[in-house]
Amino acid sequence: MAAAAAGINKQGAGATMETCLRHGRGASGSTVKTHRQAVFKLCCHLQVLECGVCEDVFSLQGDKVPRLLLCGHTVCHDCLTRLPLHGRAVRCPFDRQVTELGDSGVWGLKKNFALLELLERLQNGATNQSGMADDALKGMGECIIRCDEDESHTASMYCTVCATHLCAECSQLTHSTRTLAKHRRVPLADKPHEKTLCPQHQIHAIEFVCLEEACQSGPLMCCVCKEYGKHQGHKHALLESEANQIRASILDMAHCIRTFTEEVSEYSRKLVGIVQQIEGGEQIVEDGVGMAHTEHVPGTAESARSCVRAYFADLHETLCRQEEMALSVVDAHVRERLIWLRQQQEDMTILLSQVSTACLHCEKTLQQDDCRVVLAKQEINCLLETLQKQQHQFTELADHIQLDAGIPVTFTKDNRVHIGPKMEIRVVTLGLDGAGKTTILFKLKQDEFMQPIPTIGFNVETVEYKNLKFTIWDVGGKHKLRPLWKHYYLNTQAVVFVIDSCHRDRLMEAHSELAKLLTEKELRDALLLIFANKQDVPGAVSVEEMTELLSLHKLCCGRSWHIQGCDARSGMGLHEGLDWLSRQLVAAGVLDVA
Amino acid sequence: MKHFLRVLTQFFVFLYCKCLWRSLKFVVRKFTGSCELQRICYNNKHGARRTHKIESSLRYSKHELLQSALSVHPDKVEKTIDDIMALKKINPDTNPQLGISLQASLLQVVGYRSLVSEVEKLRREPYDCENAEHEEMLLKLWKELRPDTPLTGRISKQWCEIGFQGNDPKTDFRGMGLLGLHNLLYFAEHDKATALQMLQDSLQPKHKSTHTKRSEVGKPDWEQKNLDKAIGYSFAIVGINITDLAWSLLVGGALKTHLYNVAPEIPNLLHFQQTFCYLMQEFHRFWIEEDPSDIMEFNRVRSKFHRRILRQLKNPDMALCPHFSASDLHLVNL
Repeated sequence: MAAAAAGINKQGAGATMETCLRHGRGASGSTVKTHRQAVFKLCCHLQVLECGVCEDVFSLQGDKVPRLLLCGHTVCHDCLTRLPLHGRAVRCPFDRQVTELGDSGVWGLKKNFALLELLERLQNGATNQSGMADDALKGMGECIIRCDEDESHTASMYCTVCATHLCAECSQLTHSTRTLAKHRRVPLADKPHEKTLCPQHQIHAIEFVCLEEACQSGPLMCCVCKEYGKHQGHKHALLESEANQIRASILDMAHCIRTFTEEVSEYSRKLVGIVQQIEGGEQIVEDGVGMAHTEHVPGTAESARSCVRAYFADLHETLCRQEEMALSVVDAHVRERLIWLRQQQEDMTILLSQVSTACLHCEKTLQQDDCRVVLAKQEINCLLETLQKQQHQFTELADHIQLDAGIPVTFTKDNRVHIGPKMEIRVVTLGLDGAGKTTILFKLKQDEFMQPIPTIGFNVETVEYKNLKFTIWDVGGKHKLRPLWKHYYLNTQAVVFVIDSCHRDRLMEAHSELAKLLTEKELRDALLLIFANKQDVPGAVSVEEMTELLSLHKLCCGRSWHIQGCDARSGMGLHEGLDWLSRQLVAAGVLDVA
Repeated sequence: MKHFLRVLTQFFVFLYCKCLWRSLKFVVRKFTGSCELQRICYNNKHGARRTHKIESSLRYSKHELLQSALSVHPDKVEKTIDDIMALKKINPDTNPQLGISLQASLLQVVGYRSLVSEVEKLRREPYDCENAEHEEMLLKLWKELRPDTPLTGRISKQWCEIGFQGNDPKTDFRGMGLLGLHNLLYFAEHDKATALQMLQDSLQPKHKSTHTKRSEVGKPDWEQKNLDKAIGYSFAIVGINITDLAWSLLVGGALKTHLYNVAPEIPNLLHFQQTFCYLMQEFHRFWIEEDPSDIMEFNRVRSKFHRRILRQLKNPDMALCPHFSASDLHLVNL
């Protein structure tokens, strides 16, 4: 028994001895063993604890953690993430049953805790099986020391001679003989530290620790090792003080670890909180009277979703309104047109009847005798005259009307409908004097370059481009005329601002005029096309440089604008500018259709 | 039916131009014993009426010499007249008047052509800052219009006072080139009274509106109102616009009537510039008559004025002679 007890204390020798010891110690030990063996077998041969999809063994955490589906099947996390999503749900790979996923997706599914527990136990069993030594060590570390005589008892004393832990009862029992009664037994707290003996010099206890770098693998030494053995002349320290030092450092470390753990747990708590905030859910709230009741608190996910919903609902409503408006415009057009056509139809019928009456009358007259024919001459002439007048009116009318059943429809960018072959757009061309506004206008109109004279007042021309009809007002840029620009702002859909690129010293003047222009209320919604004219002249300011110099991005912030380099002499860039305008004004795709 | 008639009319017109007219001419010639040119010269007084007829007669003539007579150099006109006389077998001794009249008319026709090219050349010549002559003219224009105020610099805000658009008048001469400058200078030099009057009118508020809006005069944006109420236009650029008008009249051939009536022989640049003076005077009067609400109506008024001048020039006896004031008259030297 003493030997056995010593075996426990001698840390290295444990495993086999302990097994044997427990073996011999009766029923309880053997049952434990058989149970463990059974579990070990299960683990090794049946392999139930693996994912049914990927056939990898489940783990306690990480990708292979088992999660429960609504149908009761368990699949590992990794496989769940790979399942195809049907909306916000996954289908069980075994029975196709649908499981709804929350906001956190697969992460929101509950873990299979029963399985996890089993898994944990299994793993513990496996370690027990493989490393009894660790188990023994753990026994040492436990604060409750078992009685060496009977495992069910807790030791309270220590026999210094037998070196056994005993409870009061067993102490009486085992040390009842006279010799044994002499054994000095002390309370467990006063148990002396045993001195470990040097493995080389069995009689000497280890008293010193070598401090040399090279001996760190076996630093323990007795006085013989220190003086004469392999640690001769090495730097050393007392075992006790060294151990105390190490203990202190371990304590330090433990402290550090505690704070670290706290930090980590704090962080994870925070994570939980954030998840809760995102997901929302039931929360117990106390009202003024002190009655607790649950209240649904919307999570941020929900509020974001409702925000999106509200936005699109709004959009939908606007679209519906616009659709209604457009339809009503079409309806009105159709009604008007039909009424007019019906009117025409009626007129034609009346005309036809008149003509046929006249014909009838003529025929009748033909059949009458000579006297009556002569008498009827006046009347017939009158009739014929009216007929001719009507014919004239008819041809005139027919010249004007094109009979076309088509109702060409175009849409503006703001979803208004426009009926007619051409969409009319009012454009005002502004800029400093001599910037080239009139030249651009005439280039667009007649495709010819001419040196214009200074514009006094304005020029107005219509330019047709694609299915748009631009009415361009070119207003003189003379200093005195600029205050009068404002008369042209009303109902203007686009402003074309022309800048002379080769006149650097006037750029600032242009800038201030442009800035003034952009503050105008009437032009708030107008498009702004800036023509950087005279790009053909060497030394002209490039488009990029001009954007920079006039700080256009800042100036035109919040409105649709475009700067286009151009050259009114060759017409380069002008149509690109108009293209931009038409793209801005007409709903996307309509231009291609037209 | 209508269409057919139209075609028929066209056919007859064509036929007339091709053969009937010639045969008619031939018959008349045999009958009166004098050729068409003679008939024109004897039946019409000197002036646009005669020159127009001679011009069209020569243009539609089948004879090469007569056709080319229109584009002959002014120096060779005398010789051409002799050739024509020889061709038409007209004895210069018996018809002394014919040669002289024919020569005068032909000189007018040829001169008009060269005037057009001269004016066109002047128009195409851009104002050049490097050219001392151009600069001198510009400064002279200032001195004429603003004799009391010295110019502070070549590029100065003062140019706006006489109605240029910016600080540098050069940019305003882009369309009309030197022609604009020449005209303005001529106008300022030779019709100083009108020019100064126009300039003053363009700077002063309109008398009528000043009267009605007296109460508002005290407002701080006097400048703004001044602009709205002022006669509106700016002297210099209106001058350039009227130059454009005169030039288009000249190139379009409408000015022939006037020049043939005014110039005894070759019309020259002076005639053109005098026409310009007339147009400026008339336009000024017309503007005041029209009483437009603001300068933005300029183009409407201008085109109306243009139409009126064209209508006037349809009358072959019309001459657009400027009314020079007595003080300026001695400068006008025809």
